[in-house]
Amino acid sequence: MTLARRMWLASAALALLVGAAFTALILAVSAQREATDRESRSKDVTAASLELEKLVSDVESGFLGFTVTHDEDFLVPYRNARRQLRPQLTRLQALVAEEEAQRQRARRIAGLADEYVNYFVALLIPNLREEPGIADDESVALTNKNYTDDLRALFRQFRTAEDRLAARAARDAEERTDLAVLVGALAVGASMALICLFGIVLARSIGRPIRAVAEGAGRLAGGEFSLRLPAAGPGEVGELTRSFNEMAERLDASHAELEQQNEELRESERMKTELVNIVSHELRTPLASVLGFTALLLKREFDPATRRHYLGIVDAQARRLAALLEDFLDVQRIEHEGVELAAERVDVAGLLDEQAQLYAAQSPKHRVELTVEERPLTVRADPNRLAQVVGNLLSNAIKYSPEGGRVEVVAGRSNGGVRIAVRDEGLGIPEDQQGRIFTKFFRGDAGATGITGTGLGLAVSRQIVEAHGGRIGFDSDPGTGSTFWLELPNATKRAQDGESTTMAKEGG
Amino acid sequence: MDERQPASELDAATILVCDDDPSLRELVRAVLGSGYRFVEAADGAEALQLARELHPDLIVLDVMLPGLSGIEVLEAIRTDAELHDLKVVVITAWSHAEMEAQVAGADRFVSKPFDPDDLNHAVEELLA
Repeated sequence: MTLARRMWLASAALALLVGAAFTALILAVSAQREATDRESRSKDVTAASLELEKLVSDVESGFLGFTVTHDEDFLVPYRNARRQLRPQLTRLQALVAEEEAQRQRARRIAGLADEYVNYFVALLIPNLREEPGIADDESVALTNKNYTDDLRALFRQFRTAEDRLAARAARDAEERTDLAVLVGALAVGASMALICLFGIVLARSIGRPIRAVAEGAGRLAGGEFSLRLPAAGPGEVGELTRSFNEMAERLDASHAELEQQNEELRESERMKTELVNIVSHELRTPLASVLGFTALLLKREFDPATRRHYLGIVDAQARRLAALLEDFLDVQRIEHEGVELAAERVDVAGLLDEQAQLYAAQSPKHRVELTVEERPLTVRADPNRLAQVVGNLLSNAIKYSPEGGRVEVVAGRSNGGVRIAVRDEGLGIPEDQQGRIFTKFFRGDAGATGITGTGLGLAVSRQIVEAHGGRIGFDSDPGTGSTFWLELPNATKRAQDGESTTMAKEGG
Repeated sequence: MDERQPASELDAATILVCDDDPSLRELVRAVLGSGYRFVEAADGAEALQLARELHPDLIVLDVMLPGLSGIEVLEAIRTDAELHDLKVVVITAWSHAEMEAQVAGADRFVSKPFDPDDLNHAVEELLA
């Protein structure tokens, strides 16, 4: 559920509770007011009944006075009372119209009072004027007394009943008020609890995740790109956290990309420095020979044989310089144009034998041992390029085992092609340098230890082997030596006998 | 022709030439001429071994050597009780400042490529 929906629901619940509380309180107030109304009506009813009773008394006393004295003055209160009697009776009945029992009592009062005043008294008075003696009749007094006693009793009953009704109504109202107040108080309490709960939930589900995102943004700005926030919070807040994590992800990625580019730039810078160092060191040794012998030949006289010998050295060293230059150019060419292959069927055993003898002659400290597992062993390849690769591997094997020792060359069939391995017992390759060993100009610690070289041999060898559709690799244990191997497929579809083929530089 | 008189085998000073490049060893021998007895070493370990065996008068030492470097050979010579007063001429492609900083205990420096006269003078002075 989205956060907005949750908040909407919580607000609706809160509104309902508050509404309930108000309704209950309004009910309490209205019950109270009803009770007050009932009370004041009760007072009116009582007052009206007392008024009526007084009117009946006025009638009675006026009638009795007239009976005794025959004085017309006594009839004044009677007449007043008789005039007021009907409206007062109507009023009393109207006041109790809603309560059946009282209404009946009022009707009985009205009936009896009407009978007494308008029939009994009103008919007797003219008779009394004509025959005053009737008054002495005991039945008149008795009947009058019966009427008034009955009426008084009725009034008493009526007022007692009214008092009882009023008391009960007051009690009912009180009970209802109490209930309404209780309900109202509960609703108010529940509202307050809900508001507090609402606050806590808001703080937890919005405040806390937002604070986490804000802190996270600060840390991210400080360079902590690997930072991810735990997915927290409902709906939109959770979305914020997820968006934050996506942003961090992208920042992390672009930062890593920048680092990578930076690393590549540093690598390229290092290669340039390396190139300068290699060129200056590798060129300096043959150059020193050429310059030194030339200066010597110019300054001193030598016998023809010695002079010829020195000139031979100058020539060899100048050729070495030219070969170095050719190596650099070769790499440059391979990188830009690919390897030019003049493929033909090559006698691998013969080629390896030639190379092994050549390098064995250069270093008397090393024993170069050749093992060809199967003869004849031939492969379709460019013989000059293959010789260049094998020569590079042999030269490395000798250079990187300065203490001397055995250099083993093993050749045989493998996966329908040819596998050649060159093993030495030399320095080996430190693990942290193994990934870069085929990188152009990379020479590991060789520069510092005085091992000569251009750092180009393996890079060029890989280009050549891959151009043949083959693979090159190595296994090495630092301290116990290295084995460099290459595998060439026996025939490539592209390289036919005697045909010249150019392979792409990244090629296969 | 070399104008110096060849010394007899007994009088001739022994010079140990240590360089991994054979053409440079030959150059050093050609520059210094026939007045000395020469012993050659292709790396640092061999040079130290020959120095201890033959007690040469002087060593011409290249800095960039496979295995034990020229600097390490020089340190070994200077801390060896029998060899510490052996005269050492160091040949290096480094600049003078780098030599000062890294090569302690050499008697002379000759830069590479070198002028034959510089090497000659250095050796003659040390053996005078």
